[in-house]
Amino acid sequence: MYALFKFMGSKRLFVLLIGVILAVALMGLTLGKREKMTWLEMFASDTVSFAQSLFYKPAGYIAGFFGDIGNLRDIYEENKVLKKRLMDYAKDTARLNALEKQNRELLDALSFTEKQKQENHYVWHVAEAVAVSPDPVYNTTIRINLGSKDGIRENMAVATVDGLIGRIDRVAPFYSTVQLISDILYKDVDFKIDTSKAIAATVKGKDSFGMIESYDNESGYLIMDKIPESDQIAAGDTIITSGLGGVFPAGVVIGTVVSKREGDFGIAYKAYIKPAARFKPGQAIFVIEKPQP
Amino acid sequence: MRYPQTLLILLLFFLVEGSLFPWLLPSGWSGKAEISPHFVLIGIIYIAIYRNRHAALVYGLLFGFLQDLIYYGHMLGVHSFSMGLLGYLVGLSFARKRSSLLLTLSFTALAELAYGIMLYGIYRFFNVTDLPLTWILLKNIFPSLLLNLLFGLIIYVPARQFLEGSLRMKQDEEMSVG
Repeated sequence: MYALFKFMGSKRLFVLLIGVILAVALMGLTLGKREKMTWLEMFASDTVSFAQSLFYKPAGYIAGFFGDIGNLRDIYEENKVLKKRLMDYAKDTARLNALEKQNRELLDALSFTEKQKQENHYVWHVAEAVAVSPDPVYNTTIRINLGSKDGIRENMAVATVDGLIGRIDRVAPFYSTVQLISDILYKDVDFKIDTSKAIAATVKGKDSFGMIESYDNESGYLIMDKIPESDQIAAGDTIITSGLGGVFPAGVVIGTVVSKREGDFGIAYKAYIKPAARFKPGQAIFVIEKPQP
Repeated sequence: MRYPQTLLILLLFFLVEGSLFPWLLPSGWSGKAEISPHFVLIGIIYIAIYRNRHAALVYGLLFGFLQDLIYYGHMLGVHSFSMGLLGYLVGLSFARKRSSLLLTLSFTALAELAYGIMLYGIYRFFNVTDLPLTWILLKNIFPSLLLNLLFGLIIYVPARQFLEGSLRMKQDEEMSVG
């Protein structure tokens, strides 16, 4: 060790130590949520993401081409499933129309205000990914090609056709960063309670309640906590967002319950949830805008 | 020294890492292995070996910070610190040596390993992750190491020609000046 110090010289060692201290200070200071992006950050991230989008799209075409050759056999099966889905969709639309009409009449009968009626009218923005973070375990973010100029704001829910995949983290004019659910909830709680991004969730068709608070990287399951003891939640149930937290809109599919067990203190229950959607390159991504209060 | 070319090539690596690479991974691997491409790091290690540690330090800090900024999720400075330091250390250990393919690749592998463990250490220290080290090693660091070594092997000849070529040019200039 002494030889190393001697070789490096005391001046260099000093500079190195200062560097280490500065780096740790920078990490510590920027840990957690910062309020706003500086214009320099916005400029840099927009420019780089534009360049990334130039690569991402052609890569998608090429990957799609080879994928198609490989998938020719699966297409027949897929077609059958899609036809079935289309039929379900037509059925659902018919039902939706009837329910919507009934709902409107009921709202009128109970004299709801215009604001209350508009509450569940979400706007869906279609986006495309342009880059995926090369740091897939600790920092699972993707970049999408919509920004504040398209009306995107922080904390909007992000989903694919299968279900919720994350939330908008930082917004630049033309591109923004999505934090995936495998990262969203993780441990923020330890530092600042108000930055915790737990998702209020419920069971489709039941009157359940729970908060999805963390993601277990080892098993790949989301962990839903704070489930009351009397709750009817059971394995196989579909979990959807409840909209109670105010950040995420109601009714977006999150996943299915795998198992349920007693929580850490024996008061509330915990459920392990298999996420319905996982981000894959090439998928269409939707940003769900909740009407502003 | 061909600064603009080096910068452009590293920038290309950076762009490919985030936008082209995700398409190349078979979707069946998700969940089995989390592979992180570190093409920029490989480039910086080659700069450290075939050019000098100062250049490696500067490029490491620069591109690490770019990565911190673009994929900002938890904090800034993680990648710039790790890449800069590793570039410098690799450069330091190669200060007066000539390198062979085997030596270069083994140092690249060591630096990759150190990078993975450093990232884990930093994120663990700041409580961003609480995964066990063995899990990270098996699922993330070793698979990534293999892939990145493959990339290193592919670019070995052109990178060496490019970096040593510019060195020779510099020496020629010095000689003609002297």
